[in-house]
Amino acid sequence: MNDSPANSQPNTVAPSPSDEHPSDEKLMLAFSQGSAQAFSELFARYKQPLFGFFRRRLTDPAQAEELTQEPFLVLLRSASRYQPRALFRTYLYAVGFKILRAQRRKTIFHATLIGVRSASQDPATHDSPDAKLAIREGLSKLESIEREILLLREFEQLSYSEITNLLRLPVNTVRSRLFRARMALHEILAAPTPQTAAAKLAQSEEHA
Amino acid sequence: MNTATHPVAPEEVMAFLDGELAATKAQVVAAHLGQCAECAAIVARFRSTSESLSGWKIPAVPKKMENTLLKMAAEDPSAVQIGKTNIFIRASFWTWKQWTAGLGATAAALLLLLAIAIPNQLHTAMTANKAAAVGRQRAEQRKSYEGIAGNFAGSGQPINDQESKVFSNQIALNSPGVAADSNGLTHGFGDHAAPSFTVDAMIARTASLSIIVKDFAASRISLDSILARHQGYSAHLNASTSENAPRSITASLRVPANELATTLAELKSLGHVETESQSGEEVTQQHADLVARLKNSRETEQRLQAILLQRTGKISDVLAVEQEIARVRGEIEQMEAEQKSLEHRVDFATIELRLSEEYKARLNNSSPSASTRIHNSLVAGYKNAAETLLGFVLFFAESGPTLLIWLAILLVPALLLVRRYRRAAAAF
Repeated sequence: MNDSPANSQPNTVAPSPSDEHPSDEKLMLAFSQGSAQAFSELFARYKQPLFGFFRRRLTDPAQAEELTQEPFLVLLRSASRYQPRALFRTYLYAVGFKILRAQRRKTIFHATLIGVRSASQDPATHDSPDAKLAIREGLSKLESIEREILLLREFEQLSYSEITNLLRLPVNTVRSRLFRARMALHEILAAPTPQTAAAKLAQSEEHA
Repeated sequence: MNTATHPVAPEEVMAFLDGELAATKAQVVAAHLGQCAECAAIVARFRSTSESLSGWKIPAVPKKMENTLLKMAAEDPSAVQIGKTNIFIRASFWTWKQWTAGLGATAAALLLLLAIAIPNQLHTAMTANKAAAVGRQRAEQRKSYEGIAGNFAGSGQPINDQESKVFSNQIALNSPGVAADSNGLTHGFGDHAAPSFTVDAMIARTASLSIIVKDFAASRISLDSILARHQGYSAHLNASTSENAPRSITASLRVPANELATTLAELKSLGHVETESQSGEEVTQQHADLVARLKNSRETEQRLQAILLQRTGKISDVLAVEQEIARVRGEIEQMEAEQKSLEHRVDFATIELRLSEEYKARLNNSSPSASTRIHNSLVAGYKNAAETLLGFVLFFAESGPTLLIWLAILLVPALLLVRRYRRAAAAF
């Protein structure tokens, strides 16, 4: 992650369209024609961003690991039907979103009928020091759609139009919501929260 | 902050930082940021937020997952099974807890179903058994009648006469007790005395017919001639000829039972048959009972008259016997009338006929005026609305308590589920 994500794109996400760094779309087309090499290149480019995508949105690291494989499995499965209509990156995150939503539905359904799964709430399995917990907690205070827009912009580095496509929102809404989310998060993070870590721990124990 | 002092909106400052602004607008914003401390503060705020967020690092992807996936891609991409974690496909979704809950729910549903279904089943079975028992009883009775009738045919001599002689002797010996004993005697006869009636089933037939005819007047005449031809008559006839409605006749016709089929066929030829139904009520047993009772009463009457002829008792005894004769006579006449009516019902079948004209609407001047019709429609509309409203009120009055009970039963689990769902949705 760069210090100023506003003006930079990581190399892995926006490669130059030369032969050494073919675009994602070209790689995907090559893979759809049977090139395993192309797939491993795509995998190398996106494994970390996708892992981050799931890891930041789920509390259970094991679940995040499991889900990270899914978009790639979808790629493997549906390569032959691939049509380069949109940016590959948008396509991949859209798949990721679908998987995430299905997982959320399932988890909520499960928690509603059977009860909350305690393992996923155990902070001991997290590799999060207090600073990360503070960010997580700060983000959790935002409205869900605003949080999502902020995460997509800050961590997945998607453009406004990509977020628009992904969340099916008007571009003005995306912009104004992103603005609100950033302002709100700044307020939350700036405010002194001595009980953050302790509260988180207490909450997770309560769930357990 | 407003556009009077700031040529750019704060959201545009943000879009500029995100590289999402058009080049010309970006230049304006960049120029403004150099001068405006307030907007520069916003930029600083955004930067600090982004910096805080960038502190959230994610560990590297485990090597194990990487190897599995690449191996899959190298082997056969099309054979990949997606949705290992998908709710609908994943096999490991059902843990033992879920199995228990699922099986428990299924068992409860089955029990409920059985609890509802079994009493109904029992009820229908009992009704069927009862019906079968009644049927058997009737069949046995019919058999015994047939047997007795056969005996009579064989002997050729009426047993009744011999027996009645024996009995009249006994009565003569003990004349004052006649009135008291007559019931017992009648009962004794009832067991032995065979009814002398035909064993053929007696069936009172009823048919109902609804016919639409083209020529109403001609049909009316044909109807009369059909009745005359088959020696039938109309027990009841009602003709209606209103102005704006099809003319019709409702009649209850009686025709000899053996003429029923031909009469019906001729009636049907009058026009288009709308509905037709036939039914038969078996009155064999009713008739047999009546005949047997009548016979006993007649014999009682004869014996009483024999007693009266001998006149051996006191005057009060004679009077008692005469009184008894009058009572028995009354009974006999009533039963005779009943028997006649029953036989008549069997001999003459009933046809419930409805003859209506094929209606052709006619334009005439006598229809009510527009205002009257509007008024009538309004009244009808008001009535309908009131009826509907009343219907709702009645429905809730009738079913409301039951619905409330169900609501109360279902509300608690539903609320619990909603609460858990909300909690779960908030947690994830």
